[in-house]
Amino acid sequence: MQKYNGVDFYSFEKTLTDEQRSIRDTVRGFVENKFMPLVRDSYRDGTFPLELSSEMGQIGLLGSSISGYNCPGLSYTDYGIICQELERGDSGLRSFASVQGSLVMWPIATFGSDEQKEKWLPALASGSAIGCFGLTEADHGSDPGSMITTATPDGDNWILNGNKMWITNATTADVAVIWARGPEGISGFLVEKRTDGFSSAPIHGKMSLRASDTGELILDNVKIPGSCQLPGAKGLKAPLACLNQARYGIAWGAIGAAAACYDHALKYAQEREQFDKPIAGFQLVQAKLVEMITEITKAQGLVYRLAQLKDAGIDDVYLTSMAKRNNVAMALDCARVARDILGAAGITDDHPIARHMANLESVYTYEGTHDIHTLIIGAEITGIPAYRG
Amino acid sequence: MKIAVCVKQVPDSETRINLAEPSAELDRSGFTRVLNPYDAYAVEEAIQIKEKLGDDTEVTAIIIGGEQVMESVKKDCLAVGCDKAIRVTDELDNAEALQIAKVLTAVVKRDGYDLVLCGKQAIDDDDSQVGIMLAELCDMAHVSVVTDLEFDGNNFTATREIEGGSEVVKGATPALFTCQKGLNEPRLPSLPNIMKAGMKPVELLTCADLGIEVPAAHTEITTYIPPAKRGECKIIENEDPAAAAQELAKLLREEAKII
Ligand SMILES: Cc1cc2nc3c(=O)[nH]c(=O)nc-3n(C[C@H](O)[C@H](O)[C@H](O)COP(=O)(O)OP(=O)(O)OC[C@H]3O[C@@H](n4cnc5c(N)ncnc54)[C@H](O)[C@@H]3O)c2cc1C
Repeated sequence: MQKYNGVDFYSFEKTLTDEQRSIRDTVRGFVENKFMPLVRDSYRDGTFPLELSSEMGQIGLLGSSISGYNCPGLSYTDYGIICQELERGDSGLRSFASVQGSLVMWPIATFGSDEQKEKWLPALASGSAIGCFGLTEADHGSDPGSMITTATPDGDNWILNGNKMWITNATTADVAVIWARGPEGISGFLVEKRTDGFSSAPIHGKMSLRASDTGELILDNVKIPGSCQLPGAKGLKAPLACLNQARYGIAWGAIGAAAACYDHALKYAQEREQFDKPIAGFQLVQAKLVEMITEITKAQGLVYRLAQLKDAGIDDVYLTSMAKRNNVAMALDCARVARDILGAAGITDDHPIARHMANLESVYTYEGTHDIHTLIIGAEITGIPAYRG
Repeated sequence: MKIAVCVKQVPDSETRINLAEPSAELDRSGFTRVLNPYDAYAVEEAIQIKEKLGDDTEVTAIIIGGEQVMESVKKDCLAVGCDKAIRVTDELDNAEALQIAKVLTAVVKRDGYDLVLCGKQAIDDDDSQVGIMLAELCDMAHVSVVTDLEFDGNNFTATREIEGGSEVVKGATPALFTCQKGLNEPRLPSLPNIMKAGMKPVELLTCADLGIEVPAAHTEITTYIPPAKRGECKIIENEDPAAAAQELAKLLREEAKII
């Protein structure tokens, strides 16, 4: 099959700068040459290809929107383009970059002390250190404000107790951003690997996001110095602000996954012949392809506008909620339709589609489920929050 | 140490050319333009030499063309490590190899490069001549189709591809090499370097600035002809591979008459 050339029906990319197109090409080249040859085996094995971490750092894919500390300080549009290209490869690859950049480096850059920034940001940017973000607990998912992990002061130290569940990079991370309930509400802490009482365990049997490390973090009387608390993170709004950053990347990334499915299904349909002609020549198949590219193009309209808003400093949560909610659902629909176009071939891992389809189930759920985003937008337009009774 | 890399922007190899009938003109408007892939080996080699020899080595990318070539210069030359670029702005699209070589000669003579690296050919016109002509016009040593290069700052050992094998050539600067696939693996530009590339110096020149006339062409392209339609494909359906091979050999000999 021909190489992947992106999906840009409305020529959004024509309005980009030369630099932004170069960023796109670099990330696309990295995904094509370095990641695609590994993804099938990684997915089968249920592991993330960690050997790519330092190369991702070298290229500048980790924490790319952060300024200083060896980070490139790119715009939101640039960051979006990066996510779109990464997730064209696999949602697990984009998740790795999202967690490292938006959920670990961003809170350190935003809420951390100078000492924390100096210690962690250059190492995380280079990919020599890996981070994870522990908010969700087994019994507290959509409602993280009810978390039961505790932070208890002990002289100059803190004692952390609790379990975090469904944590991306859990077993590989060198540092975990842990959210816990302290005397003054929810606070953030940096917990290093190999701290006494701190351990992790992989989650087995995943049928989705397999090329990603997902695990549990166990905090059993973990004693950390006061200097490990993120001084600027006060209350639940701090971790939610991190999620808002990551969700923005997901809204772009989902388009990449959808584009990968569309592009693959289109090429397949042009080559696959039934009833003596390419199946792309049948009206029903064309209708499916047209529906896909229309939805992808609409989704691109959302994120290009959202990027402008964010680059202009307008960053309300419900704006990002709409793009995450719409684009992930759109991508999931595209993946399912693309799978249908490939017929039986679509269910094997000879093709990327079933992998994207399964991945997108996770993406639909994490960083605020589809329905939670419905409620966030609903609360904004009606003025009545519906999450609680 | 001054190193020049001569580069060209060409249509992407997947570009579809709309040419139904023979014509004097090619519609180039819808072309996606990229750096000539062989030039990427030249750029990478120059940067590797710079990394080895140290910072007082300067790598300059030289290109002839309009404003549209700058996207490739920034992304594929400056962002990956060239220090600066020179763009000759005269209208020389689709020029002959000798016209291009003469202009490049004026730049190379003006600046006095120790090493010049080129791609072994441009994938659009497939001439494979510019580099060698440039070396001759500048009276430099040259080795073409290089697949391996060792260079200590003065002397080089270059391995070049020849029919059925390879040839090892030794010499000294000033020297020019045309680079072949296999010489190295071109790196991807990092995002921070992409952002910095726009700030690197680009010198704009005309032939007049270089003290030469725009070189005249000796020939004229009269017609572009689309490739002949491919013949019908014949599939040999024989379960037994040995029998299928025999049948294929027979067809190649008797019908296609190529063996
Ligand atoms: C692969 C993967 C990786 C992840 N990585 C991380 C990570 O790195 N860090 C981290 O902290 N978390 C992570 N998560 C957790 C993720 O954020 C949660 O799964 C998510 O927030 C949903 O929580 P839950 O799974 O407990 O579902 P629940 O909250 O139990 O939701 C179940 C269903 O109930 C619905 N629901 C819940 N409340 C309401 C309501 N008020 N009204 C209507 N419907 C409602 C939801 O929409 C959903 O359909 C990850 C999850 C996955 C699958």
